[in-house]
Amino acid sequence: MEIVITLAQIAIGAALINNFVLHYFVGICPFLGVSRRVDTAVGMGLAVTFVMTIAAMLSWVFTFYILRPGASLPAWAWHAVGGAPGTTIDLSVLSYIMYIFVIAASVQFVEMYVRKFFPAMYKSFGVYLPLITTNCAILFACLEIMKHLQEPSRLWGMPEALTLAVGGGLGFTLAIVLMAGIREELDVCDVPRALRGPGIALIVAGILAMAFMGFAGVDRGIETTLTILMKK
Amino acid sequence: MSTAITVLLAAAVLAVLAVVVAYVLGWANRAFEVKVDPRVAAVLEVLPAANCGACGFVGCGEYAEAVAAGNAPPNLCAPGGENCAQQIAQIMGVSVEPSFPYRAVVHCAARFNQRLGRNAYRGEPTCAAANLVTDVQGCTYGCLGLGDCERVCPYDAIHVIDGLATVDYHQCIGCKRCAAVCPRNIITMVPFKAERMVVIACSNKDFGPEVREVCEVGCIGCKACSKHAGPIEMAGQLPIINYDAYVSESDFTTALEKCPRESLLFVGKPTPEDLAAVAGEKLPDRVEGDFKTTVDETEWRG
Repeated sequence: MEIVITLAQIAIGAALINNFVLHYFVGICPFLGVSRRVDTAVGMGLAVTFVMTIAAMLSWVFTFYILRPGASLPAWAWHAVGGAPGTTIDLSVLSYIMYIFVIAASVQFVEMYVRKFFPAMYKSFGVYLPLITTNCAILFACLEIMKHLQEPSRLWGMPEALTLAVGGGLGFTLAIVLMAGIREELDVCDVPRALRGPGIALIVAGILAMAFMGFAGVDRGIETTLTILMKK
Repeated sequence: MSTAITVLLAAAVLAVLAVVVAYVLGWANRAFEVKVDPRVAAVLEVLPAANCGACGFVGCGEYAEAVAAGNAPPNLCAPGGENCAQQIAQIMGVSVEPSFPYRAVVHCAARFNQRLGRNAYRGEPTCAAANLVTDVQGCTYGCLGLGDCERVCPYDAIHVIDGLATVDYHQCIGCKRCAAVCPRNIITMVPFKAERMVVIACSNKDFGPEVREVCEVGCIGCKACSKHAGPIEMAGQLPIINYDAYVSESDFTTALEKCPRESLLFVGKPTPEDLAAVAGEKLPDRVEGDFKTTVDETEWRG
């Protein structure tokens, strides 16, 4: 039952409290670029969620078995070529290049697959897929997962990693859709001349970020509530 | 020693990964190959890539797909015109009926000082908004002159001049956007069978005395033009031109002379004779679009 509380905390944390866009300020370029209309914003948000989930899954596998300090695969390989057994090998220097490489390749693969077998889906959000291959929000999710695989005492499993990705993706969708709604309204507002365009968009993003600060502490409340519920 | 191990293993890991990923992607590329009709690309090549939507499809790409699939005739492209239709027909191996370029025509000829019963209007300066209130001007059919069509036009082809939307036929490609946006529906698309076309430049469906009260130039429904030119028919109090019966040789001279108002006009690009007739007069140059401007559509509202 402990795991349910942890997962709820991770999901709420990624989606609301530490929203990728509005708290960490990653993924700003699609956030500003594709937030002119609500329907395209929804498409972009869902595509990001989808890619983020796949990327998190792959990066968890790669980090757990190859990159983290004390991972099994490099130790085994080193032992196989005649190195001393029990050597702790840390390949985390490879994290960035590995994540970018794996994400780009998997998105490419998924794009081809979807194009072949789900043409309707490809038409609706296939165009966004190449745009987000190396989106920094995706990379950020992978790095966040890596951070939780550093300490051997409290390792994240696959469920935690996937929850973070889905929660983060939905948080991104929420942020970009809110922004698109506001920007649609802004089109008919009398904005001071010097602020039109990116200026007012960034100010609005800042105010949204401040509003999201109000979620701080929600995770504590959820923990308490869930604990009480579990005891009953 | 440990650094050397890390370097060696890092290189090995990346090399293995590169080989595996390259193999998987190469396999996927062949296994998931989507057969694309080569005619789609060929048709797309011929289309002008204006993505204007005049054909009724979302963009040139979708129209090309529809043509290649046989779901659309080859002559729908307004900017491409005759030449483009012929080339598409050739790619598709079908014959094409002669098509004429459709151009926007404003069915109103009254400038500010010719419209009567005008009142001060201080609302949102768009036709769509002004059309919701009464008494902006006497004529409830005519151009409001607030320029919704001008702002929607991506080709700088329609301008409000003295309060009347005026099409620049050097620029118009017939994308229908102005016709769609006009809240009074007085812009229609006319097949230009000649460089200059006769059009009915009035939309007022009322009887003569009422028209005289609100406009100095509007059609009073005297039917004189319909008696003197074949393609003109009467629809209630307003003449309409049957453009199917219109040929470039149609003679409108008498009808134009008989019209007691200014409701029957020639529009389009001037012919060499017209230019020769005014050669002696000093006229302002045609103003070309200045694409250096940074003024956007919200700018002028101040």
